[in-house]
Amino acid sequence: MWDRQSIHAIAFALAAALAMKVGGAAAADGAKYPDWKGQWVPVNTAGAAVRGLDPTKPAGPGQQAPLTPEYQKILQDSMAVQANGGLGNDPTAQCYAAGMPRMMSYEAQEYVVTPEVTYILLGGDDNLRRIQTDGRDWPAKIEPTYQGYPIGHWIDTHGDGVYDVLEAETRGPFKGPRAYDPTGLPLHLDNQSAFKERFFIDKADGNLLHDVITVLDHALTQPWTVDKTFRRNAEPQPDWPEYYCHVTNHNIVLGKENYLLNEDGVLTPTRKDQPPPDLRYFKPAPK
Amino acid sequence: MANRRSSGVAAAALACALAMTVMMPGGFAAAADDGKYPTNWKGEWTRVVHREVEVQGAFDQTKPWGLGQDAPLTPEYRKVLADSMADQANGGLGNYPTSRCLPSGMPRIMTFGTQEYVITPQTTYILLSGSDHLRRIFTDGRDWPKNPQPTYGGYSIGRWIDQDGDGRYDTLESETRYFKGPRAFDASGLPLAFDNQSVFKERFFVDKTNPDVFHVLTTVIDSALTRPWTSDRQYMRVAEKVVQWPETWCQEGNHNIVIGKENYLLRSDGLLMPTKRNQKPPDLRYFKQPQP
Repeated sequence: MWDRQSIHAIAFALAAALAMKVGGAAAADGAKYPDWKGQWVPVNTAGAAVRGLDPTKPAGPGQQAPLTPEYQKILQDSMAVQANGGLGNDPTAQCYAAGMPRMMSYEAQEYVVTPEVTYILLGGDDNLRRIQTDGRDWPAKIEPTYQGYPIGHWIDTHGDGVYDVLEAETRGPFKGPRAYDPTGLPLHLDNQSAFKERFFIDKADGNLLHDVITVLDHALTQPWTVDKTFRRNAEPQPDWPEYYCHVTNHNIVLGKENYLLNEDGVLTPTRKDQPPPDLRYFKPAPK
Repeated sequence: MANRRSSGVAAAALACALAMTVMMPGGFAAAADDGKYPTNWKGEWTRVVHREVEVQGAFDQTKPWGLGQDAPLTPEYRKVLADSMADQANGGLGNYPTSRCLPSGMPRIMTFGTQEYVITPQTTYILLSGSDHLRRIFTDGRDWPKNPQPTYGGYSIGRWIDQDGDGRYDTLESETRYFKGPRAFDASGLPLAFDNQSVFKERFFVDKTNPDVFHVLTTVIDSALTRPWTSDRQYMRVAEKVVQWPETWCQEGNHNIVIGKENYLLRSDGLLMPTKRNQKPPDLRYFKQPQP
């Protein structure tokens, strides 16, 4: 038969264990999320200066995107215009937003994980995504944006009590136009894209983050999936670059023509025999 | 007197308790001091607007922008402001870089639309809804960097304070240095010094009497000023849980075009228009063909 002292000891031990577990559950609520801290830099195995959605292949036709014939032509036309000095189907050339998915190709990402939201802080003019993980439903009405509306949920694929995969879906309606890369590789002009993503740390390399993106878009003949990877910068206090398109952009679009501003702020043509801008609203100089 | 069996059971219970704590799941350190950080900074904040004095954001929210701010400007920079306002009255853009979709930088970025504060032990992030990017206030105890890249938002180091001694931080103090420019306080072109040596000291805290009011007590130290200039900038909590955050792009609504030293307007048909009477058209010296 147990005596009173032992019973009290047992009760105390059990209470202590329970308190630790509850306190641990509160702490474990924070401890359930993975360590994605630091600066993540895109890995570009294609080695090209220009990044495409698929980092293992060159931008533009090299991406081998499963485009419909109609949108293959848009890409070809865009590249032909660019070869002739024009801007093609690249809205960022005029400092419009890149939107999804191109914003995930920028330099210097940071992931800030909270139970309700995972924030992706990006190094371009498109500088922030919020992936809502608070269990919300899709809103009845989504305002169109370039980046779309993402909802995600965490998964513990190892069963060890720590979430290791963030699955997210991003829906529109989107704003546009949007292109995958500077060649103008197009998303559909109906802006009805959807994106499904899986974010996770590489099993073999704790400093490699994957963002497996599947694009569903009417410009494609089938869903298009790529694995974008990002390497964690070992620098404990990295520089966070600040990039603003307007600071360095010298493209000026007047009517249907694009021109360049030279260093003196004077308009220059971008192709041979380009007509100057229409200045009909300016009074002629007196003779 | 405890018998041997009772002692054994008690020991086993204790061993179980110990084992349970050792077997706690890992993951990122929800630091023991996480409970120290404020929990009432969540949600969407927007600046308090005193409509009787101003609509566009101003450094001192209680006063009209431009001359009405009574900024302690040096004579040199009073002239910069006067020239800016004169230029704007004549159709120009003045000393206001934002009108060309250039970044506003500090302190103007703290006047835009909505804000969200995301607090971690190492960094407090201020997420902004304007075209300027987010701010990071580093609270990890770091020193000032030796060769920082200047930015429009500056480099911010902060520390948390438990003002009321209740064991939970309630005030964030920060200092911000290392800027690019030009920057202006408001749309009149009220200038910061072109040397870009501004320093900002801020205190962030929730109002003691109203938890939906947030203060950012901001002091500017700048060569355009005769003395430090302080403003208590206030924000109202719009919502704690936000369904959809706004997305703002300057380029979408901006029709200003600057060519050389002149600013023009772009009509909806893509044609250039003058902004001043008898304004000269752009220099077309590099074009071979006569204009249509």
